[in-house]
Amino acid sequence: MPKILHYRDKCIGCNICYEIWPVRWRLSRVDGKCTLVNGIAKKGVWQTNISTDEVAINAQVASACPVKVIRIVKN
Amino acid sequence: MRMEIMAPVGSWESLQAAIQAGADSIYFGVEHLNMRVKSATALTMADIPGIVGRCAEHGIKTYLTLNTTMYDHDRQLISTIISESKKAGVGAIIAADLAVIQECKKQGMSLHISTQANVTNIDTVAFFAPYADLIVLSRELTLKQVKGIIREIKNRNITGPKGELMKIEIFAHGALCMAISGKCYLSLDSNNSSANRGACIQNCRHRYLVTDLDNNKELEIDHEYIMSAKDLCTIDFLDEIAETGVSVLKIEGRGRSADYVYTTVKCYKEAIEAVEDGTYSEEKVSAWKRELSTVFNRGFWDGYYMGRLLGEWSGVSGSQATRKKIYIGRAVKYYPRIGVAEFVLEAGNVAAGDELLLMGPVTGILSQTAETIHVDNGPASQVEKGCNFSIAFNEKVRPGDKLYKLVETEYA
Repeated sequence: MPKILHYRDKCIGCNICYEIWPVRWRLSRVDGKCTLVNGIAKKGVWQTNISTDEVAINAQVASACPVKVIRIVKN
Repeated sequence: MRMEIMAPVGSWESLQAAIQAGADSIYFGVEHLNMRVKSATALTMADIPGIVGRCAEHGIKTYLTLNTTMYDHDRQLISTIISESKKAGVGAIIAADLAVIQECKKQGMSLHISTQANVTNIDTVAFFAPYADLIVLSRELTLKQVKGIIREIKNRNITGPKGELMKIEIFAHGALCMAISGKCYLSLDSNNSSANRGACIQNCRHRYLVTDLDNNKELEIDHEYIMSAKDLCTIDFLDEIAETGVSVLKIEGRGRSADYVYTTVKCYKEAIEAVEDGTYSEEKVSAWKRELSTVFNRGFWDGYYMGRLLGEWSGVSGSQATRKKIYIGRAVKYYPRIGVAEFVLEAGNVAAGDELLLMGPVTGILSQTAETIHVDNGPASQVEKGCNFSIAFNEKVRPGDKLYKLVETEYA
C-alpha cells in the first residue's frame, strides 16, 4: 500500500500542502508546522498509508514542498 | 558612545567565534520563523537559555530574529517564542510583522524593527517609537539620509518604550540582495520556496542568459551574474559611519561558518576601536580588507551608503575568498599537561607546516600552524587516512572538534 512519509521537524509551515490537498494536510496552530492527517510518528517521521487514488495529488504536494520534507512511497 | 558590533549566530560554533572575536551583541533565530531557516544550523527554543547564558558570561547582548512573513497558524508559536525569550533574558526581538510587534508590546518584550520593515524616513521611525527601542534602517539608504534621520530623532526627541532616544542600526558587512529590503519573490516563483519565509534558494546568485524571443538571439550583457550583488563592506568608511551617530553595526551571515564570523567581527571591532582612538588609517583599512577577503565573499562594494544609483554585481556564483578550508579530521583527545591534541585523519592529508583551523561548539575557532606532527610517539612527515596523529595546541581542544587545513584559492 502506498505511504506518505513526513519529516515534520524540518517543516517551515509554508502552507502549500494544505492549499493543495487539505484532506490530508493541516496546519498546527500550536507550533505552526503542517500535520499529516491520521499520521503516526515512527522514530520522528510521521507516516500514514494512502490509497492509490491519493498518490498523484500527494506527489504534487511533495513536489511543491519547498523544504522537501514529504516523501511518497508507492508500495 | 561606541558603536556596537552585532554578530550573526547560526550555530554554536559561530556563537563561540563571535564571543572570541569580541562581539558586543549577537543575533540568532530559532525554529522555522527566521530568515535563515534553510541555511543556518537549526537552533530551537531549547537553545535560547544556553545561548543567552553563554553570552551573559561575557557581557554580550542577545537579540532574537522573528522576522519572516507570518500567517494565522503562526500566532501561537510567535507568542511562545516571545515568552520563552523573555523568560530566558533575550535583550530584544527583531521583527517586521505587525502581529509580532503587537505581541512584543503585549508581553512587555523589548523590540527592534527589522530591516524587513523597510524603514526609510523619520516619520516611520516616529510611528514605531511606541513599540521599539531600535530600528534597523533600510539597506538602500545613503549615509546622508541615515545621518538626517538620526539628527531628526534628536531634534524631535523621539524615544522608545524605555524612554531613551530611539537607536539606529545599519548593515555594515555581508551579503546584499537585489531586492529592496529583502522583499524578493524569485525563489517563491521558481521553486515555491519563499525567501520571506527564510527558504530563499538564491536564484539571483546563478548565471542567466537573456533571450530575445522574437528572433531567438541571446542578448549581450556586460556580465553574467546580472542579479547577484557583491557583498557589502563598510570598513573603509567606518569613520564616516561613526559620525552619523549610528548605534549598532550589523554583520550579516547567520548562514556562514564560524571562521567568517570570527574574522568579520574581529576586523570591525578593531576598526571601531581605531576610529575611536584616532589610529584609523589607510594602511589599517588595507590590512583589514585583506583579512576580510580570506573568508566568504562575493567581492566587496560599498552598498548604497555613498549615494550609488546602481548595484555592483558579482562576477562569480560563489565565494571569492582568498583562502578555503578543507576538512581533514576530528579531535579525539586533548592532553592539557603537555598541550597536545590527538586527531584522527578522515580525509585528505596533513603535513608539518600546514596552516590549520579548528572549530567546535564550545571551542569556537582556533588557528595554528602544525609545527610538527607526531604519529605513534614519533615525528612524521605524512599521515595515512584513518590514522591518529598529534599536534601541539596551546588552547584546549575538545573531542569531536573539527580540524581543517587552510589553503589559498585562485583568488589569492
